[in-house]
Amino acid sequence: MQIIQSLLNGILLGGLYAMVALGMSLVFGIMKLTNIAHGDLIIVATYICMVMAVQFSGNLLLAVLITICFMMLIGFLLQTFLINKVLDKGPEPPLLVTFGISITLSNILLLVFGADARYIPNTLKTINIVNTEHFSISAIYLLNFIVAIVVICTLHYIMKNTFFGRSIRATADDVTTAELMGVNTKRIYSYTMCLAMVISSIAGLLVGMNYTYYPSTGTEYLIYAFGVVVIGGMGNQMGILLGGIILGIAQLMGAYFFGTGYQLLAGYLVLLIILTIRPQGILSKATRR
Amino acid sequence: MIQLLASKPFKILNIKIIVLILIISIFLTLPLWSSEYIISVFVLIFLYMSLGQMWNLLAGYTGLVSLGQQIFIGLGGYSLAVITVLYQLPIALGIIVGGVISILFALIISQPIFKMRGDYFTIGTWIVAECLAVFFSVWTYVRGGLGFNIIAAYKLSTTDIYYMAVAMGLGSIALVYFLLRTKIGLALMAMRDNESAAETLGVELYKTKLKVFLIAAFVTGLTGGLLYLSIAYIQPRASFSITWTVAMVFIVIIGGIGTIEGPILGAFFFILIKQYLYNYPGISMIILGTVAILTILIAPKGIVGTLQERYGFEILSIRRR
Amino acid sequence: MTNDNVLLAIDKLNVHYRQFQALYDVSVKIKKGSIVSIIGSNGAGKSTLLNTILGINRPTSGSVTFMDQRIDGLPTNRIAAKGLSMSPEGSRVFPNLTVKENLLMGAYIPQARKNKEAMLEKAYDLFPVLKEKSKQEANYLSGGQRQMLAIARAIMAGPKILFCDEISLGLAPVVIKDIYKKIQEINDEGITIVLIEQDVKRSLKYSDYSYVILKGNIVMEGKSSELPVEEVTDAYFGENKYAIY
Repeated sequence: MQIIQSLLNGILLGGLYAMVALGMSLVFGIMKLTNIAHGDLIIVATYICMVMAVQFSGNLLLAVLITICFMMLIGFLLQTFLINKVLDKGPEPPLLVTFGISITLSNILLLVFGADARYIPNTLKTINIVNTEHFSISAIYLLNFIVAIVVICTLHYIMKNTFFGRSIRATADDVTTAELMGVNTKRIYSYTMCLAMVISSIAGLLVGMNYTYYPSTGTEYLIYAFGVVVIGGMGNQMGILLGGIILGIAQLMGAYFFGTGYQLLAGYLVLLIILTIRPQGILSKATRR
Repeated sequence: MIQLLASKPFKILNIKIIVLILIISIFLTLPLWSSEYIISVFVLIFLYMSLGQMWNLLAGYTGLVSLGQQIFIGLGGYSLAVITVLYQLPIALGIIVGGVISILFALIISQPIFKMRGDYFTIGTWIVAECLAVFFSVWTYVRGGLGFNIIAAYKLSTTDIYYMAVAMGLGSIALVYFLLRTKIGLALMAMRDNESAAETLGVELYKTKLKVFLIAAFVTGLTGGLLYLSIAYIQPRASFSITWTVAMVFIVIIGGIGTIEGPILGAFFFILIKQYLYNYPGISMIILGTVAILTILIAPKGIVGTLQERYGFEILSIRRR
Repeated sequence: MTNDNVLLAIDKLNVHYRQFQALYDVSVKIKKGSIVSIIGSNGAGKSTLLNTILGINRPTSGSVTFMDQRIDGLPTNRIAAKGLSMSPEGSRVFPNLTVKENLLMGAYIPQARKNKEAMLEKAYDLFPVLKEKSKQEANYLSGGQRQMLAIARAIMAGPKILFCDEISLGLAPVVIKDIYKKIQEINDEGITIVLIEQDVKRSLKYSDYSYVILKGNIVMEGKSSELPVEEVTDAYFGENKYAIY
């Protein structure tokens, strides 16, 4: 049945959206920063992946590894020299700085790559892993989901079992006390941004493999990331996966009932509704202090 | 009486008024002595000035950082297009309807949007704008992705549009100036300093914010109509594009957030740069983005704000004496 | 007091919060291995002093010298790495981390990480209730348990000096007694202790040397055993002593 197929695809697509949102959730949870450039950073990663894929004759694994290196550097520089300087200056400056970064990045992409649609060529889009008469599972959607699970579990492990992860969580709880423990919190912010960039690089690769993209696509993914983070609740990794799934299902159900032109709109509307009725997220737990 | 006339503050006030009248006269007579090109540049300057004043009213005075003002530009532009093209009605009606529809839409979304705080509000407004962009792309009534050729606009000369733009720009400045001297203005100043304290003194936060939001929507809608009068061609993606708000943000940040003179200066700066780099549109945005970032880092109060801080220099003071 | 015995020396410290001056020419000497208490009422400047030593505030003038090195002006995390630790006012445990994770954060500095298992054992010995609750998130602990956690966390890095900011606040007397006993055990191991307290009798009882601070000024100091309680109380209240009559 077609509706089961849409539902299934929606769930698997949720993996992609979870990956897109994970980096933003990390940054927001630690620094209380809404990074408006988040979507554009993912798309920058997508473009770099694309270039690297060409350089290395389609070896996507190598391409994404190199992309990760570039993105970590970019993220570290942006955080250290721009964002860290405005984090304690009130609510508006960080918003406006990241907005400025967003505009600058998307226009640099426009200048360098032009306004044409691009994609990262791969064979997974055409392969179906499962192919029954009732439904099929395409390889690329399955990849989205598996990658999301792996990355979420890895992140969870790092957060729970390493000094690095603990210091990030401690800084998120109480900056001054973390400093008392010897944590250089500004540097932790930079490292957290690097971590978010690693995740976003992988997300960028997935985006490029799933869909075509333009220099301006960053906006779309910013909105998805933000929506998923809100749905899933801050700092809750499993919640991000659930949020991604909800968005994926909303989009594909919208496309199923109203036509593909309404796919984007359906997703946006569901996000707006949730933002309105439960801005703290569906799964968030209120923290006692 | 003579002592009053000779006193220093009176003299300064006198000079300020004379200079102001001089400047306004220059602009009112502009079409008589400059080229069509320069007139069209000033159309943009005055219209963007109006946009900047409204964004500043929201973000600088009310604390509402909206990245969704393009909603009203699109609505204003499309109202003009629909009224003049589909119904063959006069341009003036199209512009006014644009303003009215903007207020109505703002009222409708205010309910859910104002439930969102801070960053959520900001991105929420952007999401609504994107929704409209997508919706107008598939809505057959407004011809979807094809858009409209606003042929009625060709009946007007650049000079006609210029005077409308001047009226809009100066009107917006006057609106902000006088609004801030009313009770609403006082409420805004109190809210800016300390929201909870203001609330305990009886300032109705929600109502005040709503009124300002509606006013800004109205003026932005009217300005959107005028902008599309000069562009004469409207498409969904471009009319609801974030690029409009990008311009507003830059104008206000670089000019000086929270000041009336800021957006005036910012509009000049912005349009001049865009014209100078007309052949390299990508680079102009990159430069503006970089300048905006640097401004927030180094001189967060913008040109006017920094001047005010350093030299106590104020042209249009909204402080009550 | 010979100078090589002095672990921490604060000399003529002046601290401002914008225009408001919180500390006036404060000078304090902490001898190695001792327990020093700083007594004062609310707002007298005790926490400001502590925060300035630890780099959370910047002094306007004056110096803070630790083991013959100037530490004023250094960022907090660098100061912590030199061996100064604090149990902050109100405990300030990391609410979303478990008890064990809080303790591990205490051992964050590189030198301390290799000893983390040994130090964990020590912390559990000192405060057995922490071992029971090691897997529980810190915000579910009671006030007394949080205070114990804060102290244990502060000694995980094997510091040379431990600052205890108002550790008796909001706790039942029997719990306070137990905590102060543990403080003495910690001191017996060689860690210098600085106690910030509001309660005069308790401060004098548990410390070797005391300073009384009033409105940002040190108004009295001396060996705790030699300071008469009434005079300290007078100094503590300043001219408000008779306000209630």
